[in-house]
Amino acid sequence: MTTSAIELTGDGRHGTGAPVVSFGNVNKSYGSVHAVRELDFQLFPGETVALLGPNGAGKSSTLDLLLGLRNADSGTVEVFGTSPQQAIVRGKVGAMLQSGGLMEDVTVREIVRLACDLHPRAYPAEQVMETAGITEIADRMVNKLSGGQEQRVRFALATAGPNELIVLDEPTTGMDVTVRQAFWGAMREQAQAGRTVLFATHYLEEADAIADRVIVLHRGRVLADGSAAEIKAKAGARRIVFDLEGHIDERTLRGLPCLAAVEVSGRTVRIQSHDADATVHALYGLGLYPRNLEVAGLGLEQAFIAITDAATAEEGGDR
Amino acid sequence: MNTLVKLEIKRTLRNKKFMFFTVLYPSALYLLIAGGAKTSETIGDTHLSLPVLFMVSMASFGALTAVLMGNSERIAKEREKGWVRQLRLTSLPGRGYVAAKIASAAVVTLPSIIVVFLVAVMVKGVRLDAAWQWIALTVAIWAGSIVFAALGVAIGYLATGDAVRPITMIIYFGLSVLGGLWMPTATFPQWLQNIADWMPTHAYAGLGQAIELGNAPHTKDIALLAVYLVLFAGAAAWLYRKDTRKA
Ligand SMILES: Nc1ncnc2c1ncn2[C@@H]1O[C@H](COP(=O)(O)OP(=O)(O)OP(=O)(O)O)[C@@H](O)[C@H]1O
Ligand SMILES: [Mg+2]
Repeated sequence: MTTSAIELTGDGRHGTGAPVVSFGNVNKSYGSVHAVRELDFQLFPGETVALLGPNGAGKSSTLDLLLGLRNADSGTVEVFGTSPQQAIVRGKVGAMLQSGGLMEDVTVREIVRLACDLHPRAYPAEQVMETAGITEIADRMVNKLSGGQEQRVRFALATAGPNELIVLDEPTTGMDVTVRQAFWGAMREQAQAGRTVLFATHYLEEADAIADRVIVLHRGRVLADGSAAEIKAKAGARRIVFDLEGHIDERTLRGLPCLAAVEVSGRTVRIQSHDADATVHALYGLGLYPRNLEVAGLGLEQAFIAITDAATAEEGGDR
Repeated sequence: MNTLVKLEIKRTLRNKKFMFFTVLYPSALYLLIAGGAKTSETIGDTHLSLPVLFMVSMASFGALTAVLMGNSERIAKEREKGWVRQLRLTSLPGRGYVAAKIASAAVVTLPSIIVVFLVAVMVKGVRLDAAWQWIALTVAIWAGSIVFAALGVAIGYLATGDAVRPITMIIYFGLSVLGGLWMPTATFPQWLQNIADWMPTHAYAGLGQAIELGNAPHTKDIALLAVYLVLFAGAAAWLYRKDTRKA
């Protein structure tokens, strides 16, 4: 494994109980594309985990392996201590796929009833539709729905029964802001009911706001695994923003210690630093008088870009 | 699982275009082929006329067409769109999926068979010796078509995207010709006849031919069809569960 994969998660945080999902050194290739490499992680009961990564990082492939829709080339995938198929047959897993088509020529109500009928411990269909917010469109044909409405139907199918694990592949694609918020509201309810939730996303704000654990995937590898705050810390940098009076000499600023980046716009200076204390100390040492000084952590987005860029550089861009 | 079977039947009935063509196609073909033949002419040493012969073979052929083409293409399309992946995330067993597909196919074949019979009686004045023959023919051709519905499901699972149609066509024409649905196998060279004897289509055609002559279907034909049904349905169910490719 590369040195860049760092286990950030402390021991105490996961609570107890057998893992819900367990990946043991899993590899998966499509021809020459090594989509998933030596993937090794576990999910524990009650966790809400974001699988974060750019396009082609291997998120969908990972979820496919987890759901038994594909077989690993090597390594083991266990869900509730059994094979993914067995866990599904027992009605423990609900999933929303990225490319999950729906049955055509049927109504929303019919397809939800079907999902409930096929679930060993289903909720009543009307309740499932209510929760997913699709009661008003229950009589519409499934193939005539908008993208966001379709997503909500998929969500209904994934929550037809009390699934202990819910897997979502980019669930909010195509949803408008209101629907997206309602969706995550419903998802939080699931998490509060003690369910384990795993979702893939590009939306860093989503991972930041919803997940209590973020797994950063890049080119099939786990780059970082920890809370959103830990991921940000891992990127190392903090952001320092201040205003300067008079002439700003950018060259002098670049001479400051522990810098990752400097940006000057008008009176305002923005600095990314690996050690904010040292940088600010040196700033005063230069005899400058920064006003409105602010020191803050990076947003998850910048942290994420910093991490993946570093990894790409390390690999020399080859696959 | 029953909900799935009912839903599959319902949505097939909703697909008006598909229903229209599959129900009327065999009758149209029948009129085209048997149109010039006279009811008074009998064939060989039998007392059967060409219109009767064609009626039975077109009903069988039409049912075969509907279930084979309809199933394989629709299933390949459902796989492509990802619905089958979603369905595999439920506790539905493989046989449930295959059963639902066969049931929805059977809904189409029954009217297509009956319409061919009606057209034959009304347009060509076809008569059979006994009333039981009509019922027996309907049941035999209908039940026999289930074998090919299962084959259709299996093909829909083996082939993907653009390949489905040509593959289905090749299997369809191969089976139809070899099984003697288009011309009597008696005209084939001996080696080909030996192969034809074991074709599911040959056994299928044999059911109707025995009944139209006033006999019971041959046990060998029934047994052969049963074996093929188990084979095709088993393969289809296995492929459904094992399908780890994305189309
Ligand atoms: N069926 C397939 N055949 C060949 N290559 C594939 C197949 N599916 C995925 N890949 C490749 O595997 C890699 C990982 O793909 P995957 O779909 O898992 O990424 P992802 O993280 O889900 O991306 P996205 O954010 O775009 O959904 C990509 O390079 C992709 O091109
Ligand atoms: Mg994906």
